[in-house]
Amino acid sequence: MKILLKNGRILDPSQDLDFVGSLVIEDDQIVEYGETVDETDVDDLFDCTGYWITPGLVDPHCHLREPGGEHKETIVTGTQSAAAGGFTTVCCMPNTNPPLDNPALIDFLLDRAASPEAGGVFVAPVGALTKGMRGEELADLAALKSAGIVAASDEGFPIQDALVMTKAMEFCVQLDLPVLAHCEDANLARHGSMNEGAMSAMLGLKGVPRTAEDIAVMRNCLLSLNTGCELHIMRVSTWSSVEMIRQAKYLGAPVTCEVVPQHFIFTEEDVAEFDSHFKMQPPLRTQVDVDIILQAIADGTIDCIASDHSPHASHEVHAPFDDAPFGMVGFESVLAATLTHLTHNGILSPLETVRKLSTAPAKILRLDGGSLKPGETPVAQVTVIDPELEWTFDVAKTFSKGKNTAFNGMPFKGKALLTFCGSEIYRDAHFDGGRLQMVG
Amino acid sequence: MGRNLLAIRHLEKSDIETLLERGAEFKRAVVAGKKLPQLGQYVVGMLFFEGSTRTRVSFEQAAHYLGLKTANFGAAGSSMGKGETFKDTILTLRYERLNALVIRHRSSGTPILAARYFGAPVLNAGDGQHEHPTQALGDALTILERKGSLKGLTVAIVGDVEHSRVARSNAWLLHKMGASVRFVGPRTLMPSHTSMLPGSVYYDLENGVADADVIICLRLQRERMSEGLVSSSGEYAKLYQINRDTLRFAKDDCLVMHPGPLNRGVEVDDTAADFDRSAITDQIGNGIFVRMAALHWVFTEEPPKPKAPAKPKARPKRRPAPKTKANV
Repeated sequence: MKILLKNGRILDPSQDLDFVGSLVIEDDQIVEYGETVDETDVDDLFDCTGYWITPGLVDPHCHLREPGGEHKETIVTGTQSAAAGGFTTVCCMPNTNPPLDNPALIDFLLDRAASPEAGGVFVAPVGALTKGMRGEELADLAALKSAGIVAASDEGFPIQDALVMTKAMEFCVQLDLPVLAHCEDANLARHGSMNEGAMSAMLGLKGVPRTAEDIAVMRNCLLSLNTGCELHIMRVSTWSSVEMIRQAKYLGAPVTCEVVPQHFIFTEEDVAEFDSHFKMQPPLRTQVDVDIILQAIADGTIDCIASDHSPHASHEVHAPFDDAPFGMVGFESVLAATLTHLTHNGILSPLETVRKLSTAPAKILRLDGGSLKPGETPVAQVTVIDPELEWTFDVAKTFSKGKNTAFNGMPFKGKALLTFCGSEIYRDAHFDGGRLQMVG
Repeated sequence: MGRNLLAIRHLEKSDIETLLERGAEFKRAVVAGKKLPQLGQYVVGMLFFEGSTRTRVSFEQAAHYLGLKTANFGAAGSSMGKGETFKDTILTLRYERLNALVIRHRSSGTPILAARYFGAPVLNAGDGQHEHPTQALGDALTILERKGSLKGLTVAIVGDVEHSRVARSNAWLLHKMGASVRFVGPRTLMPSHTSMLPGSVYYDLENGVADADVIICLRLQRERMSEGLVSSSGEYAKLYQINRDTLRFAKDDCLVMHPGPLNRGVEVDDTAADFDRSAITDQIGNGIFVRMAALHWVFTEEPPKPKAPAKPKARPKRRPAPKTKANV
């Protein structure tokens, strides 16, 4: 089977490629790209004129909810949603029920992800750092790594004890595993449901102070510097955290970080009407934070953009603000939100956009992907993006079971139209059928 | 259709004036034994998801005077206690043809959520730490009776401002009506950011109540001690109690108020609670009349004109793009 993607703008940050040309996928592998390629014996041809041909998007941080949260999402629906969002590899967090703290669960998850009905994307599991994610005893990390985890994290239940975190980091250095950290001091954040600030004071909602994040970021950066552990800080939300990460990098700590779109688009003011679709963890901060985050995205301090895809059932979201769960779905909005708010605003070039969404997260988590180089990945991971397509996000049409998003009804510019993980796994309705031609 | 009464913050000054005038009219009519408007065709659901005696009784009494029928729901016996979601509970009451809901809930913003689903008047009877609009209306009516006007008054709200819905509603109402509001209390019980609240902050009681026309004491919850926010009720009383000594700093005719229930000897001493300038019992009585006004208002007033359809939330232009070498 030979597939030709023709006349697209080929963007590959791993090789600093940005030119108009074609790419050939044969027997599920990228075999060639260039301004001109061998077009003989092509089975499928996709005219990509005006589109970007990029490495498949890689999500360093999502939630597939299975096992235990199947009413919110399953591996099947989650991976279908990921494919529709242009992702070819997604890293799922361990806060399932039970948590991903033993190899049998990793086996189960990988089996489900590889099933024919799943979305066809690669699922890279992140194992629990401590047993039950209780922050006390280390999980069987060596066994988990053998089972297939790509990193370790206690996700939304961050380790509070600095000694336990140190030992966890040391063990992960030995196992050559990155540690993913949601940085939050649990005591400072306790019972908080939005940013602590003028808005929370007015609304009478318990706030999460920025220091809850900052203290944990600083502690974890220092521990990373001390242990040499590769630390990836998830969903940075404060300007002060950004500044600390910048300093930690300057000092030589092996620290990377991500941001999620809601933290560079929305602010605490969006909570004014108590709409729980804006209840995030960490909470939406202030315009100052947003401005500094945008600068940090542009200057590279923030390495990558994640979805933090967090599906919840509608009855859970349509609850009093204090009772509603944190987070929102993201697979099918993160690319569009990034293109709309960063790329088309001149904050990121197309090549840097692809780096933040594909090449950088693949490198941080040492995953196959993030490159169009022939032979670089066992199977082709390619996404075709229309950067100019203007559309309105309608959560009712998404593949995810979760319909909780603050982006519903929002106009976007840019969308993934085709996703290849080996062969084609997703084709958007906006992809002009007329462009598809069988070459006899 | 009718209107909602969700928060003082959302009300226009003219709405507040209407409610206060109507409350005063109802009081005169009740005291004089005059005939009151009867809204007997309506049934009001009383949803108290949080324990309350005085507010519930006050609303029921107000409904009774207006000939309204009431249906009572409590947290323990409600379907939510059996696992039903908040949304489904509200929708059920809507289709059971209740005509209005009075809601108290421990979570801020819950009446606003209920109003989205209910489609008929919703009245906030206290939501979390957010607002308690009818308490503020009753307090305002009490001040008006004693002082004649709200405009130009200096009102000190003393105590646990951080956790007080009464403080927020009172501050918004008094500010909108031209009074000067001071929040007085320890830093541990004061919001750390007060720029969006309509009042100035004092941590010292003497300065906070200096030349005040009105002092509104806030109830100190005992749990604040266990949370480590106050060392002891004794120390709190020493620093923030309104009593004969501390009243000397306020104006001679300063009114003392308290939403109740009182912790005598903590927020106020007997002298302050019972002396002739205490308006605490008036507040209770006036609470009924403003709740009558509120119930009458939501059924008889036209809802505000719908705003223009909300624009989509794309707002890339409100911030300048950082300088970068990147270009699309």
